[in-house]
Amino acid sequence: MPNLQLKDIFKEFPGVIANDNISLTVEKGEIHALLGENGAGKTTLMNILYGIYTKDSGIIIWKDEEVSFKSPRDAIESGIGMVHQHFMLVPILSVAQNITLGIKDKGYPFNNKKKVIKDITELSKKYGLQVDPTQLISKLSVGTRQRVEILKSLYRNAELLILDEPTAVLTPQETNNFFEILKKLKKEGHSVIIITHRIPEVIKITDKVTILKDGKNVATVKTSETNENELSNYMIGRSLKTFSSREEVIESEDNGLVLEHVGLNKKLKTLTDISFQVKKGEIFGIAGVDGNGQKELAEVIAGIRKPDSGTILITGKNMNRTNFKTRKKAGLAYITDDRHHEGLVLDMNISENMILKDYDQKPFSKKGIINYNVVRAKTEQRIKDYDIRTPGIKTPIRLLSGGNQQKVIIARELAAGPSVVLACQPTRGLDIGATEFVRQILIDKRNEGLSILLISADLEEIVSICDRIAVIFEGRIIGIVKNGTDLDLNKIGLMMAGHKRETVGL
Amino acid sequence: MKYTKEIVSTLIIILITFLLAAILIIVAKYDPGIALRSFFYGIFGSLHGFAEIMVRATPLILAGLGVSVAFSTGFFNIGAEGQLYMGAIAITFVGVFLPPMPPMLHIAVAILAGFLLGGIWAVIPGFLKAKYGVSEIITTIMFNYIAINIVGILVRTVLKNTESALPYSPVMPKSLSFPLLLYPTRLHGGLILALACAVLIYIIMKKTTIGYELRVVGFNKRAGTCSGISVYKNIVLASLISGGLAGLAGVSEIAGVHHRLLEGISPGYGYIAIIVALMGRNHPVGVIISAIGLSALQVGANSMQRQAGIPTSITSVLMGVIVLLALGKNIMFSGILKKMRIK
Repeated sequence: MPNLQLKDIFKEFPGVIANDNISLTVEKGEIHALLGENGAGKTTLMNILYGIYTKDSGIIIWKDEEVSFKSPRDAIESGIGMVHQHFMLVPILSVAQNITLGIKDKGYPFNNKKKVIKDITELSKKYGLQVDPTQLISKLSVGTRQRVEILKSLYRNAELLILDEPTAVLTPQETNNFFEILKKLKKEGHSVIIITHRIPEVIKITDKVTILKDGKNVATVKTSETNENELSNYMIGRSLKTFSSREEVIESEDNGLVLEHVGLNKKLKTLTDISFQVKKGEIFGIAGVDGNGQKELAEVIAGIRKPDSGTILITGKNMNRTNFKTRKKAGLAYITDDRHHEGLVLDMNISENMILKDYDQKPFSKKGIINYNVVRAKTEQRIKDYDIRTPGIKTPIRLLSGGNQQKVIIARELAAGPSVVLACQPTRGLDIGATEFVRQILIDKRNEGLSILLISADLEEIVSICDRIAVIFEGRIIGIVKNGTDLDLNKIGLMMAGHKRETVGL
Repeated sequence: MKYTKEIVSTLIIILITFLLAAILIIVAKYDPGIALRSFFYGIFGSLHGFAEIMVRATPLILAGLGVSVAFSTGFFNIGAEGQLYMGAIAITFVGVFLPPMPPMLHIAVAILAGFLLGGIWAVIPGFLKAKYGVSEIITTIMFNYIAINIVGILVRTVLKNTESALPYSPVMPKSLSFPLLLYPTRLHGGLILALACAVLIYIIMKKTTIGYELRVVGFNKRAGTCSGISVYKNIVLASLISGGLAGLAGVSEIAGVHHRLLEGISPGYGYIAIIVALMGRNHPVGVIISAIGLSALQVGANSMQRQAGIPTSITSVLMGVIVLLALGKNIMFSGILKKMRIK
């Protein structure tokens, strides 16, 4: 008898059908993957189950009873827990306080702190979720925060756990640790639904897979009876592309981008003594767990933040006291990780966004008057060149998909013929097609002889296209290694957790 | 259709406003039929009514344009009233203390002075916001009180007409008056100034790099910073243009209507200008339309009071309702619009 049954769930948002009659069953003690690209409807389906959205039609049966949760509170009380992609924790409160947040136990508001801590410790031992209940959330690593989120659900007696992209922010070691936790949960009879787009993980850990595409249920298969290729075919209609940028190595001693002893915020040690060179015709990757200074490093290079110390050279010119515009003129292109807040003006249309970085340059404007005929022509050209899917050039950029928005940014940034490309998390949140497109462009530009700095938390991405890899940890470069077929990912993972290169044996 | 939604929701607002007006009039025990007739007679009944609407719309267009430029840049200038008074002070100083000049030059100097003084009055809060993050909503409102009371001091001291006991400035020289456009009504050349400014603002905001920068900063400051656009510079610039235009409204009121500085020359034009900008969606054409619409409402209400004895305070109630409806229309009317299948 299945524990959870979703039958013909239908949900329409204005203009899109997010869930088109999706059915799904999860047994007790089963790890079930919900696989699909961004926008396939995975998260919508789970939000309906969890009571965040209401379904237009369909039936949810949970433990032999038809249910329709009106809010997450209802879902939690019935034994369903969800861990969101962006954790819902209060940083200034302790682990125990976060776990018990909103629970009105006996004696409320004077909770028995000792008992709570004892309970949490027992739980964490039982499932191998090591945390210190008295520690503040703000002091914890991302992996530990995830454990707190899972504990939070278990403390509320969750029998079914929904995990939204749980491995997106973890190092390889943390991911392995996380898989162990999943196995324990399974052994204790919990059901788990994992929302993901990473096929290897699905193969590795799950029992059953449901594949969604464009809001439709494409297939449900047993993991033991399928393979990566088949899943990829279900998901995107073809096999995954593999990149090998190292085919033609362009040896060059010229550096496009040089950082010498760059430091930012001595007190907080946001960045400390960062030095590296990016050669022409090279993709230089910065790997590391999110929040270790990557964003700040990108902003220091782009001229948005001023470093306290050190020197930045772009194509040989000292850029220390210059802003973004000067650096752009010197040949820098900046692909930001935050499309919506930094890369685009969502309330403007495509053509207006297309000139965001060079509206004051010829041919777009002369003597302060913008020539919209030129803007229109160039925009149409770039829409064609980059295959940007849009109803028209006057469409507000807000209405485009993430992949097409990113194409607009890339088209704009590469238009001026840069010699250095600074790409900060350029594929974050993109679907597989768009991700492959972005990676291919970076490789093409490298082969044209540009210097490319790729900052990414996605280790697979770094390894698949970079020539050299630097690992950043707490604002320091832990080590720089040459990429190659013999590179041990586990060792990079250890460096991402702060172990020195020499000690991991690279 | 691009504008169908706008037009339909505007019609709904007008309908609700009229219904509410009828209810208020009936509750106050007046005859809504007579009220309606006198309301429309005031607006359409005579050339005088038309001219009066335009006379009131002139400062509203100027100050409304100013507010809209500030709003487009994310600078919430609530201080158009004070900036208007500073413009009025500027033209009075030009008239009282500068030597006689040929009419065109004299007006030009007054316009420049009014723009600058009004602009400075907004640039101070603009600077405080851009540099230190001080809320411009608070500072611009406070600057209104300061400006209004500076007028009170000036008309009793430096600018006082020594031949009269009343707190007035002397009458401005003839060369500082706008020409009348439609004698014998009060319609004056300020309207042409206002319309010219609307065209100018349209060109600046939509066609130039200056306007592009202002709009980027208004929509998304962070994206501006990341593209090398100075948020600081653009907020200060927006406040200057904004206050300057409100200052021109003050110049226009002195040169076209009052011809001397006295207290209370503005019946809250600077505040109504905020409504004008909001309803006009910060677009120059929208500003002109909503300025004319709101002054028609007032002129009609005055006529109702004269002919049917209905208090004009009803219009203040209605204006508040209009603001609420205009701000919330997308949410409030989405159900109705959906039923009517208008996207």
